[in-house]
Amino acid sequence: MTMKKAAALLLVGMLAAGGFGCKKKEGGEAPKAAGDTVKIGFLGALTGDVAMFGKPTLEGMKMAAEEINAAGGILGKKIEIVEADNRGDKQEGASVTQKLISRDNVVAIVGDPTTGITKVAAPIAQKAGVVLLSAGATGPGVVETGDFIFRDTLLDSVAIPACIDYFAKDLGYKKVAVITSDNNDYSVGLSQTFRDAAKGKGIEIVSDEKVKDGDKDFSAQITNIKAKKPDVIFFSGYYTEAALIMKEARKQGLKANMFGGDGLFSPKLVELGGDAVEGTMSALGFSPEQASPVTAKFVESFRKKFNGADPGLFDAQGYDAIMLLADAMKRANSLDPKVFKTALAQTKKFEGVSGTISMRDNREPIKSPLALLEVKGGKFVLKNKVPVKMD
Amino acid sequence: MLLQQLINGVALGSTYALIALGYTMVYGIITLINFAHGEIFMAGAFVGLLAVAALKLNIFVAMLLAMVVSMAMGVVIELIAYRPLRRSSRLSALISAIGVSIFLSSLALMIFGADAKGFPSGAFPVRQLKIGEAEISSLQLLIIGISALLMIGLEFIVKKTKIGKAMRATSEDYNTAALMGINVNRVISFTFALGSALAAAGGVLVGVLFNAVSFNMGLMAGLKAFAAAVLGGIGSIPGAMLGGLMLGVTEVLGVAAGFSSYRDAIAFAILVLVLLVKPTGLLGRKIQKKV
Amino acid sequence: MGAFLQDITAGIDPYILQILVNIGIAIILALGLNVITGLTGQLSLGHAAFMSVGAFASALLTIKSGLPFSLNLLLAGSVTALVGALIGYPILRLTGDYLAICTLGFAEIVKVVFLNLEITNKALGLTVPPAKTTIPMPFVVWICAILAIVAISFLQNSRFGRALKAIRDDEIAAESMGINLARYKLSSFALGTFLAGVGGALYAHFLSYINPSDFSFLKSVDILSMIVLGGLGSVPGAVIGASVLAAAPEFLRFMSQYRMLVYGALLVFLMVFRPNGLLGGVNFVDLVLRALGKKPTIPVGTGREGE
Repeated sequence: MTMKKAAALLLVGMLAAGGFGCKKKEGGEAPKAAGDTVKIGFLGALTGDVAMFGKPTLEGMKMAAEEINAAGGILGKKIEIVEADNRGDKQEGASVTQKLISRDNVVAIVGDPTTGITKVAAPIAQKAGVVLLSAGATGPGVVETGDFIFRDTLLDSVAIPACIDYFAKDLGYKKVAVITSDNNDYSVGLSQTFRDAAKGKGIEIVSDEKVKDGDKDFSAQITNIKAKKPDVIFFSGYYTEAALIMKEARKQGLKANMFGGDGLFSPKLVELGGDAVEGTMSALGFSPEQASPVTAKFVESFRKKFNGADPGLFDAQGYDAIMLLADAMKRANSLDPKVFKTALAQTKKFEGVSGTISMRDNREPIKSPLALLEVKGGKFVLKNKVPVKMD
Repeated sequence: MLLQQLINGVALGSTYALIALGYTMVYGIITLINFAHGEIFMAGAFVGLLAVAALKLNIFVAMLLAMVVSMAMGVVIELIAYRPLRRSSRLSALISAIGVSIFLSSLALMIFGADAKGFPSGAFPVRQLKIGEAEISSLQLLIIGISALLMIGLEFIVKKTKIGKAMRATSEDYNTAALMGINVNRVISFTFALGSALAAAGGVLVGVLFNAVSFNMGLMAGLKAFAAAVLGGIGSIPGAMLGGLMLGVTEVLGVAAGFSSYRDAIAFAILVLVLLVKPTGLLGRKIQKKV
Repeated sequence: MGAFLQDITAGIDPYILQILVNIGIAIILALGLNVITGLTGQLSLGHAAFMSVGAFASALLTIKSGLPFSLNLLLAGSVTALVGALIGYPILRLTGDYLAICTLGFAEIVKVVFLNLEITNKALGLTVPPAKTTIPMPFVVWICAILAIVAISFLQNSRFGRALKAIRDDEIAAESMGINLARYKLSSFALGTFLAGVGGALYAHFLSYINPSDFSFLKSVDILSMIVLGGLGSVPGAVIGASVLAAAPEFLRFMSQYRMLVYGALLVFLMVFRPNGLLGGVNFVDLVLRALGKKPTIPVGTGREGE
């Protein structure tokens, strides 16, 4: 019957398409550096609502690549950064990852700055035997995917307990109001980490409110929180909602300050929040102040390159990502990801610009120190550097 | 604290009422859900923002400018995306409306970026006033006041002017009105212009109230306003106001009770319930299904 | 059999494979929406939400039970169809505009439910282990796609399909002809959402990590654009629309930030100038029959022509 003919036609068409795409990469499965360049891919958003994290990562990567190339490259080859924009979309992230691996033959990919897309890219990279190093994912469930997957971020599970000690002892905060953005996976994870870490530290969570990314009206939540009289507000989401929450808080006469993770760290927090965000604190893995010699040099080069602007967290972590990869390649004396991944996993006390980095046995990074930044006079300044125990 | 939450709700509800007014008017006349209405609200907010930030205009002047620009936008959209489809199926017109909505919000994303933008501080000096234990800001009062004023103004136009009569005739029976010599196209364009102006005013006010203008503020606000319009009775102007207020209060009380995740869903739940139980809403008239 | 197919897949460029899988899943989703919106004329703006139901159901089945993938898919689809029927039941008696908004509303409610569901890890979502099957994913996806194409093609020309089209063209007339509106609308909804669920299940196992934010209104618009482009109510139309829009981002990557802009304009443009899409109004069976030299058995001009 004609229906079956139509179906048959389609089947043939599909096989033809598959056959047409049948050309496989030559040289076996492992991507190898060809010619005199070694390609490293960038996975992140250059447009869309998380471009705030992708763009600086790429800038940091490029800076590092330039410096290495100026000094002769790695093992005689120059680094070439292959960039692509995934717009913050997971499916696009998967496609881009696949393209970087199959079409561009990268030996490693730096990305994604967000945990969600990293989790999608990881199985693809793992299967293809390409190293994936995220310069931004802080949530759980990333490196477990396989032994080609790494990150150089300061983990929430490391940063928050360190902070809590400081808050409870040094700042004397006892009562905390927690606000979570419950359609944001970073926020949900961070709040959970906070709740777990706060147990038994003398901190009482007096209020547990929910908001959503995209909400504009926080009057109800603030009214609730105000009644509980907290010492500080812990918000685990991003800077836009943070600014609006604080504006509402100040409007209703709530004097407590806000504290959160690296999602708060952005000049837009001040732009949107104005006076209301004075005193807001953000826990980060980087600060240009009180810099180690390595960091100071980085900050100076950055300022020169970008007209006096200070580097941010993602610039630093992107830069470190390239440096870590280069260091691992040098130690392994190989540009083959199957080989240098082991060296990468054995990184100990690497002096990065975003802190001293060691890889633990489970390939999770441990970094020191943690920087606590506070908004003063419309800018983020360093409030305190909390050292983290490197095991 | 309950009083404070009620005040929060009424203030939020007035913003919905403002948008709902435009929605209900357009729907009353051409029975089309103008999906793009929310985006006009957003566009109005951006125009207002630009006027204040770049052109340094006074907020009220900025609002008028936003209203004028949006009127033009509304008329153009009707001309391009809805008029050619007037004789086509409902489905086509609806899909076209969605297309316009997507186009406008993507355009805003491209031009203004994804981050929310705030009005420069001092754009509208806000004072807090005490009512018993609770507080209300002068801005919230202004919004409530303007919504009420606009509602009255709209009722006046619709009930007491010639064009208003033409609008009512067209909404009763489009074809007969045309036969009676009413320039139906002109009436529809006028309705769109009026509705868009209201949406833009709402946009500017909401933008200042929350101090956040973003490309995606239109979709949710538009949908909730539609729910409010249905609740109050689609086609009824006081209904839009009432629906808006009720929706705002319900939403805020829901959030205060701990259901903040469901805050947007509350609007939809109300919408579905109303449509199933009393489709004409609280103050609406019965709409006969014509064969 | 599985091992043989795996060898074939290993020999193909994974980048091309990925595009093919994306297209396959898109076809299944588009066909589902086509039944609801193209055939029956009920605009559903919540298709992505049903996709999410299938995705999470299937993911949970893989994580918690050892069911073979084919059963997994059937179950996920059925669960989704059940949810679709439950949601559809109260709202299907509403007319076009209200129905559309309600589907959007329910999509929002579904999303919020998932954001608060412990078992699917709320906003953090689920990491999905590989599917329990020896047949490689691309083949599974395409087998499902082809089955869907064949099934829906049969459906279109069956009595059931004609009843749906009658409902689309004029509900009141159809009702007075004795067609039980509620029953047919509900069935079409259940079928369409079943396909959405299967598509979602395949998506979940392909991306191997899902969370509620994957299934937004924009995704529903994506799928709607596919069937509008191809032609509402046309099976080859849905297939072509899905293929074009699923593959286009790969070739038009430089334009990717204008994508939604183009889709929005496309929807308006198509509705105003070419409401039948690329292939609507074209009867595929007709074409094939004519190519074979036989007379068309179905009267020409069955495509929709406005009102």
